[in-house]
Amino acid sequence: MKGLTNKRVVITGGASGIGAATVERFLGEGARVAVIDRDEAGGRALRQKHPNLAGLLLADVADAVAVDGAFRELDALLGGVDVVINNAGISIRHDFMDITPEQWRKVLGVDLDGVFYVAQQAARRMLAGKGGVILNMGSTSGMNGYPRYADYNAAKAGVIELTRTMALELAPTIRVIAVCPGYVWTSMQEAEYTPEMKAAVDAKIPLRRHATTGEIAALFAFLASDEAPYITGHPVIIDGGEIAGGLASR
Amino acid sequence: MKLKDRVAVITGATSGIGEASALLFAQEGARVTVSGRDEARGRKVVAAIAAAGGGAMFVRADVRLASDCERVVAETLRAFGGRLDILFNNAGVFHPHNAVDCTEEEWDATVDSSLKGAWLMSKYALPTMIAQGRGVIIHQSSGWGIQGGDEAVAYCAAKGGLVVMTKAMAIDHGKQGIRVNCLCPGDVETPMLAADAEARRLSYADYLKGASHRPLGRVGTPSELARAALFLASDDSSFMTGAALVVDGGGIAG
Repeated sequence: MKGLTNKRVVITGGASGIGAATVERFLGEGARVAVIDRDEAGGRALRQKHPNLAGLLLADVADAVAVDGAFRELDALLGGVDVVINNAGISIRHDFMDITPEQWRKVLGVDLDGVFYVAQQAARRMLAGKGGVILNMGSTSGMNGYPRYADYNAAKAGVIELTRTMALELAPTIRVIAVCPGYVWTSMQEAEYTPEMKAAVDAKIPLRRHATTGEIAALFAFLASDEAPYITGHPVIIDGGEIAGGLASR
Repeated sequence: MKLKDRVAVITGATSGIGEASALLFAQEGARVTVSGRDEARGRKVVAAIAAAGGGAMFVRADVRLASDCERVVAETLRAFGGRLDILFNNAGVFHPHNAVDCTEEEWDATVDSSLKGAWLMSKYALPTMIAQGRGVIIHQSSGWGIQGGDEAVAYCAAKGGLVVMTKAMAIDHGKQGIRVNCLCPGDVETPMLAADAEARRLSYADYLKGASHRPLGRVGTPSELARAALFLASDDSSFMTGAALVVDGGGIAG
């Protein structure tokens, strides 16, 4: 993708899953990549795999003070930021009637508050510099209902509306876009799924399979690049056609 | 090269976004059928592609006619080794009018070129793509296919139809390895935009200046839309289907 060489890219939750694939893609595009993650062991492993990683900051994005500290370190490491990928996220599978206030706060804290804290820190630097691109991790869960993930779905719907409003306020200096994946095959799914469960989910998706993490990373790369200068303010769905028909098509 | 050895058909490729896409797809290694109603302009696009070392041919066609659509596909298969990998249904016309002023001729011209034409081209292209087990279809919708716009009732109806036809086709043909997405541009500096300015009795310069209050402060360029179409045509978007990619500088975010 054009225009990613030497870009200063910060990826949250970069130690695993989609985040780790995105780190790999952007390093491959010649970008300078730093990761914010709270997973120390995962971070170490990532660093071993990618010795050219520009930085690894241990911080929980749900903690505004920790995010502020991480960006101060990034200032010293990178001298600014051109692209932020707000990828960190968590989910808990539970019925709406069972969600405790603590669980609700935990999910919203990472998935929505965390996006806000990181985006605001990044935007401050982008507005002071030459602008930039902020890519927020939405989800098809923020557009359709999915039983047993009420807190996660609410957070992702929040991310999409946050994205639209940020795009309007920060234009034309900063482009802000939400990426909305459907089912993605990560090590987390691999641990949780039986082959039967995977086949049942695949059968609901028009492309008949999960996304690879690399396919989501490719969308981030396109949206962050100079190939997409007129794209801002929208959710981009990447779900193999899953929500094109919603429940009706399953 | 992102489209090496692929074969692409682009309708409405004699000007604007279609022309820019034809040039870009060819530059990325695809052999391109440039289709449209204006033979002189179409031949110029083909010549420009050839001059840049690419492969292309012109097929004159009016996508409102089933026989023309069938012929575009047949000639493409004949010329380019029996393959068809990418169909970009870009052809469309615009008439400014509300529901009262809109004539039956304008309604038919608008809806038939955008919506019916996209279906007809897909109808004839799909059997080859299904046999290949892969293919990409891109429909040219519009931001006004998602939100409404003023004095454009037939255009909004056609473009809105394309957004949902995209989803319906994605559901039907995903399991056959075919991806179907649509592009939703905002205003783009094309002959169609200049004609709209004239129809609305505005100077083109004033019309373009009117874009300064929009989020990115300007209208889009054909190249920006062509690059978005290239992304949807390429393997970089291999898990995207049924989606509407809005490329409008934030125009309909608010």
